[in-house]
Amino acid sequence: MPPIDFALIGHIESWNRAAAVISLLRGADRPPVSLEDVREIIPWIPPRVASQVTARSSQGRQVSGVYIDSFIPPDRLDSRFLRENLARVRAAAACAIKQGARVVTLGGFSSILLEGKTDLLPSHSETAFTTGNTLTVALIVKGMERALALAGRDLGASNVLIVGASGDVGSGCARWLAPKVKRLFLSARNPDRLRRFASEFLPLGSRVTADADLKQLIEKSDVVICAASMPAPQLLLDALPPGSIVCDAGYPKNVSPDFVPRDGAIFYGGLGQASAGIQLDPDLLGIMYPYSLSNVAHGCLLEGIVLAMEKRFEPFSQGRGLITPQRVENIWQNAQAHGIGLPPLFNADGLVEEDMRCLGPEVAP
Amino acid sequence: MQAVTAHPCSKDQTQIWADVLAQAVTGELIGALNYTTLAELYEDAAERAEALEHAQGERGHAASFTAAGRALGVQVVVNLEAQYWKRIRSIFLSRAQAGDLIGCILAQEVMLESFAVASYSVVAEAAPGELGATFARIAGEEGEHVAHAIELLQAERARDPGAFDARVHQMHEEIMTALAELIARDDPGGHCGLCQGSCVKGSLPAAGISLSEIRGASLQRYLKTLDEIGVPGESSLVWVAQLPV
Repeated sequence: MPPIDFALIGHIESWNRAAAVISLLRGADRPPVSLEDVREIIPWIPPRVASQVTARSSQGRQVSGVYIDSFIPPDRLDSRFLRENLARVRAAAACAIKQGARVVTLGGFSSILLEGKTDLLPSHSETAFTTGNTLTVALIVKGMERALALAGRDLGASNVLIVGASGDVGSGCARWLAPKVKRLFLSARNPDRLRRFASEFLPLGSRVTADADLKQLIEKSDVVICAASMPAPQLLLDALPPGSIVCDAGYPKNVSPDFVPRDGAIFYGGLGQASAGIQLDPDLLGIMYPYSLSNVAHGCLLEGIVLAMEKRFEPFSQGRGLITPQRVENIWQNAQAHGIGLPPLFNADGLVEEDMRCLGPEVAP
Repeated sequence: MQAVTAHPCSKDQTQIWADVLAQAVTGELIGALNYTTLAELYEDAAERAEALEHAQGERGHAASFTAAGRALGVQVVVNLEAQYWKRIRSIFLSRAQAGDLIGCILAQEVMLESFAVASYSVVAEAAPGELGATFARIAGEEGEHVAHAIELLQAERARDPGAFDARVHQMHEEIMTALAELIARDDPGGHCGLCQGSCVKGSLPAAGISLSEIRGASLQRYLKTLDEIGVPGESSLVWVAQLPV
């Protein structure tokens, strides 16, 4: 099989989207499949190529690859199904190698499952695996900068809370933000891991505070980045001061749909937009990203495309919390050179840039 | 054929097993007929002999299942005119008459055998004692038939992938549609012609059998077999998504 530039490994985020994928594949002339049938079928589908992908650089170059769905059932995205899900990611990786992919990005839950242990994947001398998390971090922090700028606020005057701070994405955001913000609050569920990570910031003194108890940090924050791995949206950030900005960068989303920041705004972070276009055949993009914007995808998937456009077939992001501000800037510059950057800020309800502008420069005390 | 010892089942469960065995025996006998027809299509004497050996094996499986029924105290129904099996046999014969050896191998050794391996394995988990062991043993033997086909079909596909995949799709549309209807939640074509009384599908949980697991496992086994042959995953994904449910 002739080599392809990249493979993107992902999975479906919700049962409704799984049903939409099956409906698309069935075609309009066949009777629709019930959600019950979809729930019954999906767990049995072995990982496989679901779409052919082509992406264009703004420089004119076109790269080609495949989207491989691991078919991790949306309700099995947690540690109880670790062994089963790891087997799926391994099978998806083997599929990527069989396809001849030069660089493979481990999207969504795939890299979280591996926790950087890419040695658990089948190896091949011509195929590099990247978590894609460095570009995700870049898109989160650049999105946050943009949100603050729209509100007329300064990052240096902001008190930023990171939920899921000891994870690969959260820790990358923390390193990038620590020297730039007024105060940085770090929260994660595993207190030992959080303590170990927070020790990196001892030279910054009291500007960086870590606490596994999220409640202790929320009311002191005016900006929140949610980057935790959770099986379903469940975070309620009720104690946030009015006027706060929340970036939900979780996959699946972290913040409960019931939560609306008081006099504040929420946007989806970690997503990028390829200005010169990405095409999937069959076109699953509109199902995976049912937003009003086109050519939008997660940063982790886009990192594989950027590396392919740069002909950098290397394990750029290896997990294990190794993302540095320098690496973030490096992949960000590479992405921008190919027209891949921030989309206008948005959430499930649509664009929120105007909402950000309306927030104004002050957060209520 | 191995001796099968009796094991305790309630009257209702015994009836469920009788209906399940009726499907298995009929399916095996259709398989035996298909392998006999397949033998006539082979030019190579060794392949012809092997196909006849497989036909004999399928008859042996049918005999084992019939013996298992006797051990339960039931006479297992055999009906080669049962609508789904008759349809499958008729599709197979039409391909054989057209001299389509590859189409016939795809139908019998990939589609029907994948279904047999997966469904027997699921049933083996639920079946009591020796009955379970019989289903498990036969599932293993059917797996060998699938393995036999894969190498041959890989070579065939290498010659002309596009034409090969089109032929798989054609056989899929006919055979897999019939199988999907056979194990659909409801009987789209009415009574299958094998169950004694009403359709057994709704009663399967009483014997510890999950129809959903049979459907899923059969689909998975089939997709993995197509993967091994080299059929692109995105094609087989679309094909199975288009099956009746």
